[in-house]
Amino acid sequence: MHKKIISILTVTALLFGATVMAHTIAKKGMRADLVLMPKFLGILVFDQANNGAQEAHKELGNPGKLEFLGPTPENSVAGQIEILTTATTQGQDGIMISNNAGDQIAPAAKAARAKGMTVVTWDSPIPSADGEQLFIAQVDFNETGMVMADMALNIIGPGGGEFAVLSATPDAANQNAWNASMKEHLKDPKYSKIKLVDLVYGDDQSEKSYNQALALVDKYPNLKLIMAPTTVGIAAAAKAMQDEGMCDQVKVSGLGLPAEMVSYTLNGCAPEFALWSFVDLGYLSYYATYMMATGQIEGVAGETFKAGRMGYYTIEKDPTRDKGLRVKMGPFSVYNKDNVEAASK
Amino acid sequence: MGWEGFLLVVLLLIICVNSFNSLAFLTVENQVNLFVLSVEKIIIALIMTFIILNAEIDLSVASMMGLAACALGWMVESGTSTSTAIGLCLIIGLVGGAFNAYWITIVKLPSLVVTLAMLIGFRGLGRVLIEDRSIRVFPPWFENLGQQPILGPLPLSILIFLVLLVIAVVILQYTGFGRYVYVIGISQEVATYSGVRVARVKTILFMVSGLISALAGILFSARLGSVRGDMGLGFELDIITMVLLGGVSIFGGAGSIYGVILSILIVLYLRNGMSLSNVTGHIQTGVIGVILILSAMIPNIKSWLESIFDKKYAP
Repeated sequence: MHKKIISILTVTALLFGATVMAHTIAKKGMRADLVLMPKFLGILVFDQANNGAQEAHKELGNPGKLEFLGPTPENSVAGQIEILTTATTQGQDGIMISNNAGDQIAPAAKAARAKGMTVVTWDSPIPSADGEQLFIAQVDFNETGMVMADMALNIIGPGGGEFAVLSATPDAANQNAWNASMKEHLKDPKYSKIKLVDLVYGDDQSEKSYNQALALVDKYPNLKLIMAPTTVGIAAAAKAMQDEGMCDQVKVSGLGLPAEMVSYTLNGCAPEFALWSFVDLGYLSYYATYMMATGQIEGVAGETFKAGRMGYYTIEKDPTRDKGLRVKMGPFSVYNKDNVEAASK
Repeated sequence: MGWEGFLLVVLLLIICVNSFNSLAFLTVENQVNLFVLSVEKIIIALIMTFIILNAEIDLSVASMMGLAACALGWMVESGTSTSTAIGLCLIIGLVGGAFNAYWITIVKLPSLVVTLAMLIGFRGLGRVLIEDRSIRVFPPWFENLGQQPILGPLPLSILIFLVLLVIAVVILQYTGFGRYVYVIGISQEVATYSGVRVARVKTILFMVSGLISALAGILFSARLGSVRGDMGLGFELDIITMVLLGGVSIFGGAGSIYGVILSILIVLYLRNGMSLSNVTGHIQTGVIGVILILSAMIPNIKSWLESIFDKKYAP
């Protein structure tokens, strides 16, 4: 009888032990010098991601440094490659990249890996996954496409009409994946009345995005909606429509920050948009990178780790790229006149 | 102490500060990397020195880089072998340069206007070829050429730079052609009446400029492993900055290749030093800007002081 109880206890303990091993909880106070690199400086959402990473840095008591280093907007590609190369030379232990250089950054990332540096991407991955160990995805890229299609349908209405996409840069892997997935969803008969007429790039620069929005309206007189899956693009497009007094004819939607969009949502220029928390994205990216750089997790598919206040996450194959692993954060928040004011504070 | 002497002092100062600031600065790896990261610009700075000494300017160099890179990607993607495509891209460079030279030497338009037009034209052509895409089609040998060291720690691009540097010094300092470049820069009329074939010299310079820019575009593609339409956007300003900081007069005829070499080292070491100290983006740009303004002011302050001195003590 006793034997039986003991063996049950042993089995339970073993099972429990196995579960604990599979769910790694971060050991605090280990040293790792880390770099957080945005696409470029001066964008609010990247500063928010930095706040999240700094929060995690303090929480984990890492005696190393966390640097927030980014290029200027006009020098984004060459600047990102330069920062990555310099970080490798400096002997940094890990870097978190919101990639704006497409595959052009892959050679530098491979060189960093060869030196033993941990290379994690967040927000926007390396398309080929060359030189990248793990991508922290904000949301499921497929889901982004569906949310975009749904918002378009919702705003344009059952009567249907034309809309256009105002994206960031041609090499932003996240944008491309979202746009591609939205096009896939649009094939569904449910969306048959709404028609995508063009896709243009504003390079995530306010002035260019503003001008591109105006150009779209000139080119397509029947345009009902501009869908901008970028926080810079959506705000610029909404301002352009407001300045031209066209908010009645052409609505704006996409991915935006409540703080930047609140006035446009309340005045009807941008009735509905979506986003996730960039603070959380920075926080989660930091946890994953810290644990990989200090050897607590390897960064292979199937590993589960606990990211502080955000709970457990599992590394999986990235369904949107041939190679590459990801951790999916989620979820989406959709904002409209009912909840935007609360979220903007 | 001449301008080169002043630049040398500044350079030594930057090297000292950098060495104290970061242990990584003097490592071979860092020294090679800091050149590799800007090698395309400094290759073009060599030919730009000739052109500015000649009292001309070529603003189309970075767009030609982009055009050559786009054309390379487009051709390889359409099935041309990479080596053939490289040859064709170099020819595009020569033809583009000859086109610039035609308007400048035969139609006699200012090079500022002609090459500004081509800055837009070449870039536009490149974008037409590959549109808003990023093309990654190159064979592994081509990428290795741009990324792997082939002699000691040095990759091909650095070796090409060193060879071109020696050629540039020899031509400019020790040949008749080099003297013509200076003479034309000082006064085109005098050169013409002395029997210098001005149009021929200018045509050669602009064609070589196109050729070298195309070569830089090819090296850039190999280093990054893929091409897109905005490659090298704005590089012409960095290149011209290096040449002017080197003491080459924007009005032509004055300055030396040695000054340009020193200024290249100053700009690269300054940027690298700031990067190693985790100074980024806007501040780096600002510091380089201040250095430039100072470099433009110091000769003026010197001559201003001299003029006061001369007035006071003139007999």
